[in-house]
Amino acid sequence: MPIIKQQSPQLINIDERQRPRDFNGLVAELEADDSTARRWAARDLAEFPESVEVLVRRLKYEGDPSVRETILTTLIRLGNPATMTELVECLRSEDAALRNEVIEAMKELPDEVAPIMSELLADHDPDVRIFAVNILESLCHPQVEEWLIKVIEQDPHVNVCATALDLLGEVGTTASRLGLEQLKARFAEEPYIGFAADLAIKRIDES
Amino acid sequence: MKHILVVDDAATVRLYHRNILESAGYEVDEAVNGIEAMEKALQTPFDLYVVDINMPKLDGYGFLREIRSQDITQVPAIMVSTEAESNDRQRAYRSGANLYLIKPVKPEGLLTYIRLLLGVSTHIRPHLSNDKAIDR
Repeated sequence: MPIIKQQSPQLINIDERQRPRDFNGLVAELEADDSTARRWAARDLAEFPESVEVLVRRLKYEGDPSVRETILTTLIRLGNPATMTELVECLRSEDAALRNEVIEAMKELPDEVAPIMSELLADHDPDVRIFAVNILESLCHPQVEEWLIKVIEQDPHVNVCATALDLLGEVGTTASRLGLEQLKARFAEEPYIGFAADLAIKRIDES
Repeated sequence: MKHILVVDDAATVRLYHRNILESAGYEVDEAVNGIEAMEKALQTPFDLYVVDINMPKLDGYGFLREIRSQDITQVPAIMVSTEAESNDRQRAYRSGANLYLIKPVKPEGLLTYIRLLLGVSTHIRPHLSNDKAIDR
């Protein structure tokens, strides 16, 4: 029986990257059957700011985790207003995994997310407001506590407030104390709010 | 003593559930996402899961689908979510949840459902299916 020499994955990668890397070529390759080709295409599309829409469209049904990861990395690298618009739309998706990936990606873009955060926290959909608070969880931005205080003081939805409360339990300072007391009073019938607010206040007082 | 796994990425929520469950005499373990929950489920024969939906790495739907499809366990699972839409509820049941509760959860309600599910599971665990799920 003849021995068939298998082509190494590295050679395949080199071949794939030797194809034309123009925008249209990369967009076509993003639909290739081979996941390695799709991954390279997703990576090289970082050179093209107009690729945001096509990347997000692919992200919505891409099945290979490594390609999904590359698409998100490219979107973070692009980090332009179009990226933000597309990522915010993904927050409205029914696909929980996609939403979680987008939340993680948006955490990496503090300067781009900051200008739209007030808008996100005022969205008509409480789920989007919750996801906005989730983004604040590890968003390195000086306004994080200010945004969270505004949520617990003004948002009418108990679960949006509860999500902000969870985060204030970790990052809240004395500036949050009054808002936490008011929140407890506003949702006095909800045992979870009382529990979490007391925990946050205790941590603030001890720190 | 019945052993319950609480799966939620929010530390305060996990502590809240732990306090409720331990005060009712249950042994509690925690996981911060679906991946950690899977690892614990493979190692420990839990009697019930309390699972959040939105978590990083592997969400609640994914965790339940995995444990059901791999036949690791058919023990009862309560999915707890902020999402009140009917399609979220249906999706939870399709993923393998036996009960879908909307946050914030009240202690008495949670304990009542847990007692009910644990009682049911004792008798008909091998046949417990999603269409026999208890809804509140």
